[in-house]
Amino acid sequence: MPFRPNKIPGSVIVALMLLVPLAIFPWLGPPVYFVSLLFSVFLYVVLATSWNIIGGYAGYLSFGHVAFFGIGAYATALMMKGLNLSPLWTILSSIPAGGIAALIAAIVGYPCLRLKGPYFAVITFCFAFVVDLGIKNLDILGGPEGLWLKSMDLPINVTRAILFEVMMVIMIFSIASSIWISRSKFGAGLRAIKEDEEVAQTMAINAPMLKIQAFALSAFFPGMAGGIYAYYLTYIHTDIVFDVMISILIVLMALFGGGGTWLGPIVGAVVLTLVNEGLSTFVKAELARIIYGCLFIGVIIFMPNGIIEFFKRGQKGCSGQPGASDNLA
Amino acid sequence: MNSVLVLQSLISGIMMGSAYALLGVGFSLTWGVMKVINISHSAFGLIGAFLAYTLLKWWGIDPILSLAVSVPLLFFVACLVYRFLITPITQAKEVIVASMILTFGVAIILENLMLLIWSPDPRLLTTSYTSKVLVLGPLYFQYPRMAGFLMSAVGVLVIHFFLKKTYTGKAVRACWQQPDAAQLYGVNLSRISMITFGLAVSSAGAGGVSMAFLYSFEPHTHNLWLIYLFLVVIVGGVGNVLGAALAGLIIGVITGLSLAFLPYQWVNLLTFGLLMVILVIRPHGLFRGEV
Repeated sequence: MPFRPNKIPGSVIVALMLLVPLAIFPWLGPPVYFVSLLFSVFLYVVLATSWNIIGGYAGYLSFGHVAFFGIGAYATALMMKGLNLSPLWTILSSIPAGGIAALIAAIVGYPCLRLKGPYFAVITFCFAFVVDLGIKNLDILGGPEGLWLKSMDLPINVTRAILFEVMMVIMIFSIASSIWISRSKFGAGLRAIKEDEEVAQTMAINAPMLKIQAFALSAFFPGMAGGIYAYYLTYIHTDIVFDVMISILIVLMALFGGGGTWLGPIVGAVVLTLVNEGLSTFVKAELARIIYGCLFIGVIIFMPNGIIEFFKRGQKGCSGQPGASDNLA
Repeated sequence: MNSVLVLQSLISGIMMGSAYALLGVGFSLTWGVMKVINISHSAFGLIGAFLAYTLLKWWGIDPILSLAVSVPLLFFVACLVYRFLITPITQAKEVIVASMILTFGVAIILENLMLLIWSPDPRLLTTSYTSKVLVLGPLYFQYPRMAGFLMSAVGVLVIHFFLKKTYTGKAVRACWQQPDAAQLYGVNLSRISMITFGLAVSSAGAGGVSMAFLYSFEPHTHNLWLIYLFLVVIVGGVGNVLGAALAGLIIGVITGLSLAFLPYQWVNLLTFGLLMVILVIRPHGLFRGEV
């Protein structure tokens, strides 16, 4: 069930109370570390929320979502280099970059979305590899050396603050569209597909069309975020923007929070990004990843419906036992 | 085209393919019989390879003999994994997807344990016969590759006859075809599943050693091997042992031939692209069959 606040004005106030301090934050001259940390929290919220459109609502687990992020990053970088764009236009070029990612998603999705369950997961996983290897082997795209982007002619903290705000705007738009979908007929159609695709089709739901639209939309925001991320780092390399680990993290975050709700991926992304940061600060990278692996296992065994559902059930005195795992995927 | 070159790459392709086959058979079996996609399969295979490497380096034990240690060890670990991690999710509605995510976690844990124990340096199995070559006319056969080939062939045949001839193997097949009916006839489903899983993971250990005869390996290598696993299973058909063996050979030959004519980095691209195309055209495998 989607999370429905009782009164919309109330929830708007809560959202503003959260967002306004966040928007002001980078202008108060905080340490760069915290700006970057929040920036990556926003980034993962965008990625997990948009993954949720196809993975959570429609139940098609894409294990290659990093491909769209990387495509967006490369598209922005190439547009900036090729057309010699000014900083403002570079930021705006992330919109067509998202469009390119969405277009590729629609083209790839047309054959791939006919596959179900594990086959879809495998083909998306492979797709991300193919894009990664393809770009790595093409010298015009920077090849194995990567691409450098010219930074803005502004102090570094101002540059970062501007991109921070841009990423926040993208985050707000992605969350808004996720909420809109969860309440719209479109979202109802996607949930019907997740429940039972054949039945949905007999109910006059155009499942193939709906799936492609959802897939394209879920690729659009990661594409935009990729462009902004590239500009933030000022350097991109296929190993960074096509890291398999990002794909996996996105899935884990959405499922950890609870796929199929708009709030779940946000909670999952915020919690896991902070946990990841904390872990990598205090323990060795390998140990941090081992703990991450344990989290994966724990989520699937103990809270197959995500952390939000887990605590809701916990209050009723019912633990997330295996029988409760009907809602997974 | 040079016919000797083609023949030579065909041979090396068959040898590579046999390793893919042994690695993939168990993966296919767990997917088919238990509806569990074990993403950590190749990571277990890599553990087999690392154990062989360590035994070879410290005590000079031949990699093939190291199987006497790694196979029982992996069988035991697999039974534990099955009992404590897989059993809780077998009641889920989407076992396959749940198992994928769960075993992804296991793979991450194994990978990082290997990083901690063996460091990220690439390793090679260097035995006394590594550089020895058997020359037959214009063709030559490298000894380690032949050892890997023989091991894989024996491994696949052992699994095949186990499933066809022994009581336990027949029970495994029965559980694959009709789990409920098999239980009515007195087959202990959870015990059989545990044995299947153990068998699959220990065959991965053996497959890992035959892969190690061919390629250098490091703790991240299992991600690449995983793609080959999916290729083997999807070409060969889920749960089909001989199909997996045949698929392994086909993929090996394709890789072998393309290695001869394409730069290395394009070979992987070709492999992944091939997998995507096969998935789209024939998602349930090129050969249909049963265990």
